[in-house]
This record gives sequence, C-alpha cells and structure tokens, in this order.
Amino acid sequence: MTNATIQEIEGIDDYWGPAFRSVYEGEGHEAFVQQLDERIKQHDKEIEKLCNFHYQGFIDSIRELLKVRSHAEELHAEISNVDANVKEATESICTRADELIRARRVELNIAATIEKMELCLPLLTTYSKLKTQVEAKRYYPALKTLEQLEHVLLPRVGPYKWCAQIAGDIPRLRQAIQDASMADLRDFLENIRRLSPQVGAMALRQTQDLLGRSLASIVKNKKDMAVLGIAGKEPIGPQCPHELVDFSPLHRCLHIHSVLGAKNDFIQYYRAQRKQQARLVLIPSGNLHDNIQSVKNYLNAVLGFFILEEYLLSAGAGLVSKDWLLDTWSMSVTKVASTLRTNTSLITDPTLMLSIKHQIVLFINTLKCYGLPADPLPLLLQEMAEHYTEVLMQRWVVVFRDILDNASFTPIEVETQDQYDGVMDTFPYEGEELETQPFPRKFPFSSIVPAVYVQVKEFIYAWLKYSAGLGLGGSRRAAAARHSASLLLSRSFTGCLSALFRRPLPLMQLVQIIVDTKYLEDATLCLYEFISNITGSELVTTQTAGSMFQAARDDAEQQICDKLEKKVDEFLDLENYDWLLVEPTGQASSFVTDMLSYLSGVLTSLEQLPERARVAAVRAATNRIATRLRNLLLEPGVRQISSGALHQLDLDVIQCEQFAAGEPVPGLREGELLEHFASLRQLLDLVNGWEWSSYLHDVGIDGGKYALVTPRDAATLLEKLKEAEQKSSVFTVLKKNERDRRKLLDTVLKQLKQLQNQDGS
Amino acid sequence: MAKTYDYLFKLLLIGDSGVGKTSILFRFSEDAFNISFISTIGIDFKIRTIDLDGKKVKLQIWDTAGQERFRTITTAYYRGSMGIMLVYDVTNEKSFENIKNWIRNIEENASADVEKMILGNKCDLDSKRQVSKERGEQLAIEYQIKFVETSAKDSLNVEYAFFTLARDIKAKMEKKQEASNPAPRTGGHQLRANEQQRKPTSWLSRCSLL
Repeated sequence: MTNATIQEIEGIDDYWGPAFRSVYEGEGHEAFVQQLDERIKQHDKEIEKLCNFHYQGFIDSIRELLKVRSHAEELHAEISNVDANVKEATESICTRADELIRARRVELNIAATIEKMELCLPLLTTYSKLKTQVEAKRYYPALKTLEQLEHVLLPRVGPYKWCAQIAGDIPRLRQAIQDASMADLRDFLENIRRLSPQVGAMALRQTQDLLGRSLASIVKNKKDMAVLGIAGKEPIGPQCPHELVDFSPLHRCLHIHSVLGAKNDFIQYYRAQRKQQARLVLIPSGNLHDNIQSVKNYLNAVLGFFILEEYLLSAGAGLVSKDWLLDTWSMSVTKVASTLRTNTSLITDPTLMLSIKHQIVLFINTLKCYGLPADPLPLLLQEMAEHYTEVLMQRWVVVFRDILDNASFTPIEVETQDQYDGVMDTFPYEGEELETQPFPRKFPFSSIVPAVYVQVKEFIYAWLKYSAGLGLGGSRRAAAARHSASLLLSRSFTGCLSALFRRPLPLMQLVQIIVDTKYLEDATLCLYEFISNITGSELVTTQTAGSMFQAARDDAEQQICDKLEKKVDEFLDLENYDWLLVEPTGQASSFVTDMLSYLSGVLTSLEQLPERARVAAVRAATNRIATRLRNLLLEPGVRQISSGALHQLDLDVIQCEQFAAGEPVPGLREGELLEHFASLRQLLDLVNGWEWSSYLHDVGIDGGKYALVTPRDAATLLEKLKEAEQKSSVFTVLKKNERDRRKLLDTVLKQLKQLQNQDGS
Repeated sequence: MAKTYDYLFKLLLIGDSGVGKTSILFRFSEDAFNISFISTIGIDFKIRTIDLDGKKVKLQIWDTAGQERFRTITTAYYRGSMGIMLVYDVTNEKSFENIKNWIRNIEENASADVEKMILGNKCDLDSKRQVSKERGEQLAIEYQIKFVETSAKDSLNVEYAFFTLARDIKAKMEKKQEASNPAPRTGGHQLRANEQQRKPTSWLSRCSLL
C-alpha cells in the first residue's frame, strides 16, 4: 500500500485530495515519509548525474561565447569605421540633394506663377485699353470692353486683391461713361439748338428755290453752269438741311444707353429735353413786330427744330415717335400762330407785314414738304390779311388827311396841254367838251379827285401784294380787292371827309367836296376795271358803289344848310325893328335886302351842286327866315307892336316872298318855298285885314283862308297890338269908331281865348 | 325885346387877290390864323360886336373876293358900307400899286362920306418886303386916309385897325346927328326905337323937348 499511494500522487496530478486522505486515514505514515525521503534521494541523484553529463558542453559554450564576443567587438569597430567613411562620403551628396530639392521647389513655383500671370495679362491689357478708350471718349467701345472685362476676364482670373479693385472700379467707370455720354448729349442738344435756325433757313431757302423754279430759271441756271464751265460742279457742303447737324453724338449716346440697358430712360430724357427746348424755341427772343429779321430767326428756329425731329423720326432709331412728333408739333404750331398773331397785331408797317406774310407762306410750304400739318397758320394769314388791310387803311388815312389838309378845294385849272394831259393821265375823266376849249381849261373837280384816285390805285397795288402767293384765284382776289377798295373809300376817305367837316369850311369848298365825291364815285368803275386787269379776272360791273360817299355828301349838304341858316341868323340878329313905328318907311329893312341879295349871290355860286343839295339849301334858308320872322312877331319879349311896325314887317316878308317866288334855284316845286311863309303870311293878312269874323267862322276847318293861324298865335299878336294902341292913346279921348274897334278887339280876344281853352282841354 | 347893340356898322374889305383880306377878317372875328390859302369866292361876311366908349357896336364886315371875275358881285356891296379897309400886301408891289385903282373903284361905287383906311398886311414877312412903310404912309397922306401896317399871322394891329375905323365912323355919325339935332336922327343905324323901348322915359323926354 504506501508505494501505490506515491505512485498515485505522482500519477494523478490534480486530485491530490483522496491521496492525502488515504495517507491521513491509514496507518503507515512513517513508511510513507520514508518512501518519500527515498524518492527525494533518488531525484537528487538523477539531477547530479544530468549535471555531470552536460557540464563539458556548457563550458565549451561559454568558451565559444567569449570568442564570439571578441569577434563582435572587432566587427563593431570595423562597422564603425565603415560607417564613418560612408558618413564622410555622403555628406556633400546630401547637401547637394538638399539644394536640388530647393531648386526644384523654386522651379515649380515659378512655373505656377507664370501660369497665373498669363491668365491676368489679358485682363490688364483690356483694362488699360478701357482706360485709353475712356480717355479718347470712345465710350461705346469702352463700354463693350468693360462688359468683356466684367463678365469674361475677371471671373477667369481669380480672387486677387487688385481684381477686386478693378471689379470695384467697373461701376464707377460705367457711371463715368454714362455721365460723359450725357454730357455729350447735352453738347449735342446745345449744338442743334444753335444750328436749328440754320437748318430752318436752309429749308426755307430750298422751298423758295423750289417755288421760284420755272422753266426759264432752270434754263438760266443751266446756262450759267455752262458758262462757268464744268467747275460749276461744287456741290460740296450739305444738300439737305439736316446734314448741317452731326447726329453721331446722339446715336452714340443712344447706343451707350441701350448697352447700359437704359434706352427707354434715355428716350424719355431726350424727349423731355427736346420738349423743353421746343418751349424755349417757341418764345421769340425779342419783339417780332420790329423787324423782319427777328421773325425770320423765330420761324427758322422753329422750323429747324422740327426738321431735325422729323429727320430723327425717319432715321427710325426710336428716339422720336410719330405720335410724339405730331403731338409736340401741334402744341408748337398753336403757340407759333398765337405768338405771331399777338406780334403782328402790333405792326403798323405794311412792308413788314408783307415780309412776314411772305415768310409765313414759305414756312407753310416748307412744312408741307416735311409732312407737318400747317393747320392754324392759314387762318392766321387770313387774320393778318384783315389786319394788313387795317394797317393799310390807317396808312392811307394819313395820306388822305394829307391830301385834304393841303387841298384848296377849288377846281383844277390847267394852263398848258402838258398840264391837261397830266390830269387826264391820272384820272379817267370823259370831258370831250373840255378837249376843245381854249386854255386855261378848268376841270369840274378839284385836285383831290385825281390825287385820291391815284392813292386808291396805290392802295390796291399794296393790298394785292399781300394776297399774292396765297394761292387764291383771280376772281376771289379781285372781289376781295374791290371790297377793300370800297371799304377804303367808304370808311377811311369818308372818315377823313367827316373829320374835315368838323371844322367849319367855307361854303364853296363844301360845294366842291360834294362835286368831287360825285366824280370819285363815277371813277369806281374804272377802279374795278383796274382791279380786274391786274388780277386777270373778269370785270364785275354789277357791284356798283353808288352811295359810297352819301354819308359824306349828306354831311357836306347838312353843313351847307347849317351855314346858310347861321348866316340867316346873323342877318336876323341885326334886325332893328321899331315896334312902335307909326308910319312904315315904305321900303324893306336893310338887313332883309342885304340878306336876300347875299342869299341869291350864294345860291348862284352853288350852281355846281346837285339839284337835290341846292334845293335842300334854299329850303333850309327860307324856312329859317320864315321861322325867325314869325318868332319876332310872337316873341314874349316884344310887348307891343304898332300897326305901323306890323306893316314894316309885312313889307319885309313881301320881299322874302318875292325872293321865294322867284325860284332862286331850279328843281323846286312851284310855289314850294312860299309855303314856308304861308303861316306867317296868313297871320299878317289876318291882323292887317282885320278879318276876324271869317277867321272865327272858319276856325278848325281845313283849307280855310287862315287855316294855318292858331288861335294862340292870333291872340298873342292881337294882345301886342292892343298894348301898342292903348299906349299911343293914353292922353287922347277915344273917338267913336276907335271905341268900336277896341270893343271888337276885346270880343275877338275873348273868343280866341275860349278857342285856346277848348284846344287846351 | 332887348337889342344886343347900339350901333351897326357895315365894313368892307377890298384889295388884290391874296393880300390877306380873309386872314385879317379871320384874325379879327375868330382870333385865329390859317396858313393855307383858300381864295374867297364871291362874298362873305363876319360879325363881331365890340365895345366902343361904352357903346355896343356891331361890326358886319364884308369880305370880298379880290379876283377880277367877282368884281360885279362885290361892287354891289360898296353902296351900303360905312367903312372900307383897303388892303395890300407889303411883299407884293403890284398889290400896293393897285390901291389907287381900288380907291377909284370906291369913288365910283361907294357913298361919298364912307370912312376908309389903308392896311399894309403881311408886315411879319420882313425879308420879302417890297413896299416900305414910308411909301404906305406917303400914299395914305396923299389920299388923306389913315394907314397902318398889319400882320394877320402875328395878330399885329388888326384889332387896332378895326377899332380905329369903327371909332372914326362913330365920331362922324355922332357929329352928323349933332348937326341935325333936334331933327329926327338919320343915319338909319342908330337904334332910336330900341332906346325908346328900353327906356320909355327917354321917349317921353324927347316928346317934351318937341
């Protein structure tokens, strides 16, 4: 048993428990420790044996190892040596290698730089190009360059600082270019403002040439050219008005703005500017009514302005639209018309009016050439025609006034054939009987007739000058000329005559004026003939101005009548009746005889007057005499009238009646003048004849012997007679028949008073 | 009815055509002057009332045409006139020489006791003068007529001339009345009736004198 257990212990490695238990539990413990000692002695012997066996090998190995150690040391030295040598040898190589590496690195850098720089170069050249272009004011290319710079070159280069700077510069440059082009535009605008009058002038000149072109003038021009040789070909200089203006700045500007994308803004700006200019152009720089040059300048400027606009329209860049042009034009033409209207209405110089009219006609024709409507201008021309007529009439008023102021109003007397022919040349007078008379010959009219006739012709010439070139037909011109001429005579000349009548004229001069107007009236037919001759229209004879001067004649006749009445008054103011005359002198009062002889003298010298006027004059005079004499009798200032005085007055009235009955002028109705004295005569007869009973019987019956005597007048005169009789018989005792007469007188007076009261009630 | 005057004198202007008769009359009656010459045709008259020694004197002045062709018309007026102005033009010798003819005309046609006066008109035109003042005086003395040089244009002596002539006529008339006093006054132009009517007392006083 103890053997087995050691084996078991040695055999079983890991489960020592049961072995120990068996040892522990059995009895054999000494055996077992002995066996274990034996066992340990056995293992010691085995280990000694083993060590003895390997000892030699071990010593040998140590010896060998020592030997390797020295060898290793040798090798170490050798290797150190080699290493030093190598080190020495490779040191320069290493330096070189380093240098090489650095150089290679530099090389690489340089290549990269060049590459980058090459990219930048076009940008810089473009930039400098841009600068030069801007400097040379070639804005459009500059703008293109700018574009390229901005969109192509800059992004390609990269984010350099200077690029950023350039990029930052671009808007500034663009603005500068825009500004500069605007400045150019302003220059251009200023320029065309300066040039447009020349443009207008040239267009007008061309129109005038065109209008004045006739076959003859063309032939003449050709001939002139031929005479001058081929050298006559010198059409250098602009052929069209608009060529005077260089539009390139405008177009450039437009391009620039279209590039900048501001085309519409630009067009708006341009139109606004031009509209403003148009307003300036439409305000004349000075008075247009002073001289033709200012009118020319004005019209030239306006015309030039619109010719240029019209050209821009046709050039079609879109700067000017048809609507805009027509709109601006219609605004302008109205303004032009009103400006001209205002100014021309102040003109008093017909020549200036003519020149202005010519300019306007030319203006209208030129407008037609350029397709612009001339609408209110023809109307203006018509208005101006009226004003022109007014101006001319005013002119001729002065002429007429001058003629009348210096006229003697005496018939023209000529001493020689030359003088005679001189009058006959200026005035159409059909005086065949005068032809045969010996010198000095006397025309029936005064010098104003030929003078006025000539002046009316002059007026017609002047008047027709205006209507020339207005494109009116001959007959229309003639009619208008006739109208104006008769207006001149019937208004201006008659007006002058009326003014003449305002100061008192001697009788004979008045007579002569009446005669003269007759001759002038007769001559109007010749004036019409004259008008139809120069207008080349048919003679119109239907329209005769028969009573053209009737107003003036009436004035003159009235003045003659007034004059005669005044003279009659002057004579009657000299009246010196003794109202208490006892015995009439037996002869007419001297103022009456003076007056009648004066009147018959005057009336014979009125021979030339038309019958009507003479009759009117004598009627006025006799009526005045009758009225004044009758008033003398009935005047309340005269209290008493003796029968002697009454007889004296009767005598004077008889004188006057004789004068009236003697038909102092022809053309009177028989006894017509006597009618003026009729009521006075009846009154005198009634009182002198004492026929009261028949008066009172017939009173109120038409056709009675004393039908013209009113009870009032009869009573008035009777009262005066009564007063005078009472006065003369203050101291005497009345005889019987006188008492009867007094009684009758009172009765009659009473009756008359009653009649008066009846009439009154 | 109140009379507007005490005396009425009829005066006559005669002389050659163009000496200025109408201008003188125009100056005297209207106190105006008109340079233009309009020759008088036939006859015309103007009236002006002047105050002479407290009397209202009405002058009816007849202006005659100087031209020969109106001679027959104008001479008819010589008879009734009480004063005659003979006018010549100091710048026109002929018109001065003709004064003698005009005086002969007066002697033939006018009443014998007519008052006369010679006027040398246009004395303002000294540079054109042809007749000296002395010759005018000389002629006037020859005929025992008063003389004065006038200028209608400058209004020189025109008033004076008419007043002088009127005063002479008045004096002559009053002298004649005194001579015939207390017989009814003649002369025809002093207004007896007028005075009686205005102042009845004077008429009564005249009766008592009778």
